[in-house]
Amino acid sequence: MPQYQQQASWRLEGGGQIIDLETAIKDGILGGGGGGLPAGKDGTLGATAEKLDLKKMIEELDSAAAEDVPSVFICPISLEPMVDPVTLCTGQTYERANILKWFSLGHLTCPTTMQELWDDAVTPNRTLHQLINAWFSQRYLLLKKRSEDVQGRAAELVQSLKKVKGQARVQALKDLQKIVVGHPSVKKTVADSGGVSLLSSLLGPFTSHAVGSEVIAILVNLCLDSDAKTSLMQPARISLVVDMLNEGTIDTKINCTRFIEMLMEEKSFRWEVVSSLSLLVALLRLVKDKRHPNGMAAGLSLLKAICSHEQVRSLIVSVGAVPQLVELLPSLSPECSEPALHILDDLSTTPEGLSALKDCPQSIPNAVRLLMRVSEACTQYALSILWAVCKLAPDECASLAVEAGLAAKLLLVIQSGCSPELKQRAAELLKLCSLNYTTTLFISKCKLTRTIQ
Amino acid sequence: MISMLYFVVESMGSFCSRQQPLNEVDSDENIQAAEIDRRIAQETKTEQHIHKLLLLGAGESGKSTIFKQIRLLFQTGFDEAELRSYTSVIHANVYQTIKILYDGAKELAENEPNSLKYVVRTDNKEIGEKLSEIGSRMDSPCLTKEIAKEIATLWNDTAIQETYSHGNILQVPDCAQYFMENLERFSEVNYIPTKEDVLHARVRTTGVVEIQFSPVGESRKSGEVYRLYDVGGQRNERRKWIHLFEGVTSVIFCAAISEYDQMLFEDDTKNRMMETKELFEWVLKQSCFEKSSFMLFLNKFDIFEKKVHRVPLNVCEWFKDYQPMGSGKQEVEHAYEFVKKKFEELYFQNSKPDCVDRAFKIYRTTALDQKLIKKTFKLVDETLRRRNLIEAGLL
Repeated sequence: MPQYQQQASWRLEGGGQIIDLETAIKDGILGGGGGGLPAGKDGTLGATAEKLDLKKMIEELDSAAAEDVPSVFICPISLEPMVDPVTLCTGQTYERANILKWFSLGHLTCPTTMQELWDDAVTPNRTLHQLINAWFSQRYLLLKKRSEDVQGRAAELVQSLKKVKGQARVQALKDLQKIVVGHPSVKKTVADSGGVSLLSSLLGPFTSHAVGSEVIAILVNLCLDSDAKTSLMQPARISLVVDMLNEGTIDTKINCTRFIEMLMEEKSFRWEVVSSLSLLVALLRLVKDKRHPNGMAAGLSLLKAICSHEQVRSLIVSVGAVPQLVELLPSLSPECSEPALHILDDLSTTPEGLSALKDCPQSIPNAVRLLMRVSEACTQYALSILWAVCKLAPDECASLAVEAGLAAKLLLVIQSGCSPELKQRAAELLKLCSLNYTTTLFISKCKLTRTIQ
Repeated sequence: MISMLYFVVESMGSFCSRQQPLNEVDSDENIQAAEIDRRIAQETKTEQHIHKLLLLGAGESGKSTIFKQIRLLFQTGFDEAELRSYTSVIHANVYQTIKILYDGAKELAENEPNSLKYVVRTDNKEIGEKLSEIGSRMDSPCLTKEIAKEIATLWNDTAIQETYSHGNILQVPDCAQYFMENLERFSEVNYIPTKEDVLHARVRTTGVVEIQFSPVGESRKSGEVYRLYDVGGQRNERRKWIHLFEGVTSVIFCAAISEYDQMLFEDDTKNRMMETKELFEWVLKQSCFEKSSFMLFLNKFDIFEKKVHRVPLNVCEWFKDYQPMGSGKQEVEHAYEFVKKKFEELYFQNSKPDCVDRAFKIYRTTALDQKLIKKTFKLVDETLRRRNLIEAGLL
């Protein structure tokens, strides 16, 4: 067969280096070092068995090695590494399945050279197959080794945490956190070696901020079972988490927020655990911190979860959540508007919350603005809030709402593709608001276009 | 004080300067004035780096004990001379304690329905009268072995024991038991008080005391410098001097949570916990503490732990909505969390919205336990240092 040089114009998108045979031999890819070729060096080993192994290795290495795969190993049709490379009479090599499919579609040409084939035979390219196998095997074994190392390292760190104190403890925790985040497979190792209960035991009334923040950073990335979560709900531990929510860096605050949310999912969770003024004040501060949108989102998510417990709602209102959230509404991103409105809607079910909504001058205009603007859920909550406030004080609020352009928005809702209940609500609210106006005046307030009129 | 001095010097300067060219006398005065200015500026700068901590709280809340603990932990502690100086104090405390118990027994015998159990045995009455008389003197005599034996006998009288266990309406000091248990040692001829004894000794603080210290960190780097002030806890004219502490880094407010069933020394119709509540409210409202961190020490937890099982929390009006939930250790935790929430509530109700950023942390303490106080202070130190970094924008 004529020797061919791969030309630059055919360098494929998979990237990677051009490997010539000399380099391959020099780098010891062919059976050198720890490479360990499978016994099919002469190609006689059951081709199917080898292929499966190779396929598995390619899959597992997919993300890790994607950049590195030499371009000669890549099938020009699928741009994937070849498991069963076959060569055509033109000298081009393709994945067997792919080229056969090409043929079955009626083409008798070589896809890359566009030449018409004078011979439709496909010859298995054993040499290339061995090279691909060897290359992937080497990297696969390396990856396995490294990942085993990581497991060992994690177990080591968990053991060391039982003994070390002070700065060494903080460092060990930091290292463990890096490993857990970087290698998700480590989570199980940590749990198995008693890591979770050990970490929980490090949290107590005398835990320093430095240690506590690292422990939470780890726990938040692990899967905690029911017992672990229950033990973490002890008041002294929750107090510690709340303190860190108050004083920590933004990352610590977000971790603490997510941590508490995790605990709230547990069956044994009782609302008293989160009925802490310090927690609520800290959350509000987080929610209002515009420098950190991640923090705002995390804070709103937890506050929403807390708000779903009726008994805590009046406490939330007592820390001034209503005016603060209302004033925040215009500047919130769409993802944050929904939880914020949900919270306000929940709070409106309490007398204090409703009264606070009524007293806050921005409630109505801000709620009206958000109708039909972000999502159906947002519209639903905003509508519910407006309904509650207007029902409470129809004379006062209805006119405010209408001035803010409520009527036009309600008409939009009614004509939209929203759910029937929502439309019904909108219609009722429209009726409520129109009571104090004459028809003509009301229509003018609606700022309707001629057609709708 | 410093600002007043500065003003005087400023005006001195302006009196001295003239429009005409300066002659030699003038320039000397100017040099002096400049030197004073420089030194004042330097001292002001150093002062700014010292974190000032103010211990506040009602009488007998444990402020002075905490003060002593800090001395023991971060300064050279008490030398022999100072320890010896406490001998007379401890002896006086012993006499005061037994007097209160004996007089108290008599009072209870007269007023309580179950009076018989408060009646002291006849042969102990004479001792009782004698000790009561001694205890009322300004200068108490040294505690001899004989007197110690007599006190022990009286202490073991069932009536006195009964009185002790119902001591909440009397002014029995919390360390009564400690004094009575160590009588023999106290009465030794060569008795020198131990650190433990000094911590228990009870002297009413008058005026202000201060110490400067630097908790050396684990890494032995130079720690922050703190100055701790202890003021008397009684009710006198607080509002007149409190503003002198404007701008302290932190207020350490001590509240003895075991006192929910006790009355004030100054006014035995007033519940101590209610007094603490009102004092805390008052302190929170002071504008001079708007920027100060608040560290609340819920103190005397060891006594609280034991009392909770005997005396329900709701005897105190502030805690009247408390509902016990169980028994044993869980109940103690539950009761503690309840008290903590009450204080938290009080804090947020009395803090203006623009004070929301000041640090507020609650610590469970037992002032007499040195290890615990050391751990607690480590946390306080960490919090204040983090605050510093946050304010400097470094965190």
